[in-house]
This record gives sequence, structure tokens and C-alpha cells, in this order.
Amino acid sequence: MTRAALPVRAAPSTALADPPASLPSARGRGSRTAVRRVLAPTLAAVVLVGAWEVVARTSGLPEFVLPAPSQVAAAGVESAPLLGLHIATTLTEAALGLVLGAVVGLALAVLIAAFPVVADTVYPLVTLTQTVPTVVLAPLLILWAGFGLLPKVLLVALTVFFPVLVAAVTAMSDVDGAHVDMVRGLGGRRWNQFWLVRLPAAVPGAFGGLRVATTYVIGAAVVSEYLAGTSGLGVFIQRSRKSYDVDQILVAVVVIAVLTGALFLLVDALGRLATPWRRASR
Amino acid sequence: MTTSPDVRVRGLSVAYGSLAVLADVSLRVAPGEFVAVVGPSGCGKSTLLRVLGGLLPAGARVRADELALPVGPDGRAATAWMPQGDSLLPWRRAWANVLVGARIAGVPRDVADGRARALFDEFGLGGFERSWPHELSGGMRQRLALARTCLPQRPVLLLDEPFGALDALTRRRLNAWLASVSLGSAGGASAAVVLVTHDVDEALLLADRVLVMSDRPGRVVLEVPPRSDQSARARVLSALGVDLPALA
Ligand SMILES: Nc1ncnc2c1ncn2[C@@H]1O[C@H](COP(=O)(O)OP(=O)(O)OP(=O)(O)O)[C@@H](O)[C@H]1O
Ligand SMILES: [Mg+2]
Repeated sequence: MTRAALPVRAAPSTALADPPASLPSARGRGSRTAVRRVLAPTLAAVVLVGAWEVVARTSGLPEFVLPAPSQVAAAGVESAPLLGLHIATTLTEAALGLVLGAVVGLALAVLIAAFPVVADTVYPLVTLTQTVPTVVLAPLLILWAGFGLLPKVLLVALTVFFPVLVAAVTAMSDVDGAHVDMVRGLGGRRWNQFWLVRLPAAVPGAFGGLRVATTYVIGAAVVSEYLAGTSGLGVFIQRSRKSYDVDQILVAVVVIAVLTGALFLLVDALGRLATPWRRASR
Repeated sequence: MTTSPDVRVRGLSVAYGSLAVLADVSLRVAPGEFVAVVGPSGCGKSTLLRVLGGLLPAGARVRADELALPVGPDGRAATAWMPQGDSLLPWRRAWANVLVGARIAGVPRDVADGRARALFDEFGLGGFERSWPHELSGGMRQRLALARTCLPQRPVLLLDEPFGALDALTRRRLNAWLASVSLGSAGGASAAVVLVTHDVDEALLLADRVLVMSDRPGRVVLEVPPRSDQSARARVLSALGVDLPALA
């Protein structure tokens, strides 16, 4: 890897020394950087997985402690038909919770921005409640809301709610005073200022918060499934643990990572769609 | 629209903390009248325009013997203020930005669209309707901001250096357009205009009355009607402390 990177790093100094010769190398730099960006981490991953495979096979550790990647892959193929339903359950909880948390967070942010009274009374309280990690509330939620979908959706929503709220509130209060003045200077009332300036200004911020929150949602859903439930990746992991199927646990871990990544990309794409003026400036 | 009372300011003083910006400024703008304000940079022209637009900046201390700002039939300020910067909203395309003033004023959609169409063509912005503000030049952004301010056809326009970023030719074209707006020949009722500018010739060409302000704290040191006063140009320049006769 270092060997591949070296000529690229050397290119600027050549460019300084010899301007005419630098032209082709400058043109090649973009694609070479792209290759390095994709190739380097892929290579690193391959090396790591390879090392794991070697260690697992040669160390003599039993399979229920450290299965080799090839065994994990085999377990994945084997449990694939079973996994579908679990994935569907976890994804449903995560997606519903994500939407619920984002909608409630944004709605409260709007109320806070529109009514100073709400800002003064509710915002400090909400901030205070964040000293309680949401995962800690899972047993309570199950007690109150039963063993079904609801407590899990609520837990995910609670996890999403706060980052979205804070990001949106911050964006709306940091709004450019010149824009607000412009609206006022055209006769705009508070209401106009809100619709024309504060609300649109909150969209990029809210999506920033949502992007952060998205990386937690699958995890939050899985943790709530550890405690109760009959279906979901958390349930699958618990069952595998009881039967010492470490390879299956690892399969679930990979699936969770992939789902989290996919969800993140989806939210990121939605964010770009919702803020086309920023996309154009990139 | 025709019944809009005039702008009346008497003995206006503004200070930011211990910094006196305006001292004892008096000003009266009758309906349909065109008043230009010139003065050295930092003398408080923008501050004066903000006061007229009802936009007292936070932290400013304002005292006045009289401060009457016209109010329209809808209960909103009858003024339309154009800031020195364009303040276009980055999340609205050029077309939607121009419609901001109309939306606030509650101008019906089809009427607003028709006026926007005319302004885009008049201001040489045709073809850029769907551009984002950051894709436009400084002069184009300024023209958009002017269009946004004029579109609701408020009876009083408060324009803070609306032509600062324009080339001489475009500037002359928009000068002529603004003169026609003030005369009421651009389709709407005639509007009163308060124009802040650095360009003495622009002020003399367009205005019924030119106000010259002193260095900070700004006060009105000269008020001339350029159309009836042959020596207006010389008097304005000397009040500004410019002795050389500038080239016409
Ligand atoms: N919000 C503010 N807080 C403190 N001081 C301010 C504020 N706005 C303006 N000032 C001060 O008031 C004075 C007048 O400012 P103003 O913008 O009115 O000048 P101006 O005549 O419009 O100048 P220019 O021709 O350069 O635009 C300046 O000295 C400025 O520093
Ligand atoms: Mg100014």
C-alpha cells in the first residue's frame, strides 16, 4: 500500500520542480487518488480477514470460541433462509422508530422555534432527560408497552429523537440574521420569518442529526430484542449464544453492520434530495 | 395605495453604545417622491434606511421627536427595504427568491408570476429562473434582490445601494427603470423611493431631492432639488468635500 501511495505523494514536488512535466501527472492524480481510496481499504480488509482465517485455523481454538471467516460464511449461507424474517422484524422496528423519532424531534424543534414559551419550559427538561441513556430504559418500556413491536419502536424513536431535535433547534436559532431582516424589511411577520427562513434553514441541520442517529437505530432495535421478543436479529443472537453458535452470532453482526450502512446511505441520499441547493454547490 | 401617508422623521438620533451614528436627522418623503441620500462611508446611511424600514437593530439606541412610518391597508409596513447585501435565500431558486416579497404581501400567485416574468426580462435575468443564488454573479444577485423588493409594489421603496455591483451600462438601464417606477409608468402606482447611493451623478439624475450627509455622526448638511437648482452638482460635491469637478 505504501508503495502504491508513494508516487502520488511525490507528484506535487515533481510539479514544482518541472512545470511542463507535471501536466500529465496532475491529470492522473484524480483517478489515482480514487483508486487508492477504494483499493487501500479493500486490501486492508482482505489482509485482516486472511490473518483471522490463518489464526483461527492454526491456533487450535475451538470453533465455539473463534470460528474462521470461512466458517462464518458457511453459517451465513446455512442460516440465510432463517435470517430473512429476523431481518424484516429488526428493520421494521428500526425504520418505524427512525421515522417516529425524526418526526417528533422535528415537530418539537418547530414548536420550540415558533414559541419562546415552549423553548423556555420544555427544552431544558428534554435536555435533562438525556442524562439517561435510552438503552437503560428498555426494560421499563417493555414493562409498560408489552413484548411486541411497540416498545422496540419507542426505544429506537427515543434514540433518534434527541440528535434530530438538537440539530434542528440549533440550525433554527443560528439562522442568518440578514435573512430574517430581509423578510422583516418586506413586511414579514414572525410567521413569514418562520416559514421563509427558519424552517428551511433547519432542514440541513435536521438531516445532519438524523444521519448521526441513523447509525444507532439498528443497534437500539437489537438491544431491545435481547430483552424480549420472538423475532429479530437480537433474538437470533440470543438463541445462537445459548447454543454456542458463535459463527451465527458473527453472521448477525455482519448483517447488522450491512443494514446500518444501507440505512445510513438511504438517509444520506434523502438528505441530499431534500437540500438540492447544497448538492449543486458540491 | 394612493392614501399612504408619507414618511416623517424629525430629530432622529441613533447610537450604538457610545458610538453616535446619526445625530438630529430630519427627513420627509411625500408619496411618489424620489429622495437620494449620499454621504461618506460609515456615516449612517444604512442605519437611517433601517430605521425607515422599521428594522431597529438590536443594541441601537434610537431617539426621535417624530418617527412616522407609513402603514399599508393590510396593516403591514408600507415600505419595502432592500439591504445593502442581497440576502437572497440560498434554498430558493432565482425565481422563488424574487417571489418572496410577493408571498409576504399576499400578492395572488398568477399576478406575482406575471410581474416576476416582466422583471426577469427587464433586468436581463431571463434564462436564470432556475439557478440557485450561489450560481449567479454579484450583479445578478443584486438585480434579483431589487426585483424581489419592487415586485410587491409597496408605496415606499427603501433601497440601500442597489446598483453597487453593476456595470455602467446595466446600471444606466436599471436607473431608467427605477425612474419609471417612481413615476408610476412601470405598470404599478407611483412609488416613493429613498435611494442610498455612493454615486453623486446617479443621485442627481434620479432624485427629486438629494440629501447630503456629514461624516459620522451623520446629520443632513445639504438638501438640494437637482431639477430646479442649476448649481446642485457643485453644491453636493463641495458638501461632500470633493473639490475637483468630476468628469461627466
Ligand atoms: N449593528 C451595529 N452595531 C454596532 N455598530 C454598528 C452597527 N451597524 C452599524 N454600526 C456602525 O454605525 C456606523 C454607520 O454604519 P452604516 O452601515 O449606517 O454606514 P453607511 O453610511 O451605510 O456606510 P456605507 O456607505 O459604507 O455602507 C458605522 O460606524 C458602523 O460601525
Ligand atoms: Mg451602508
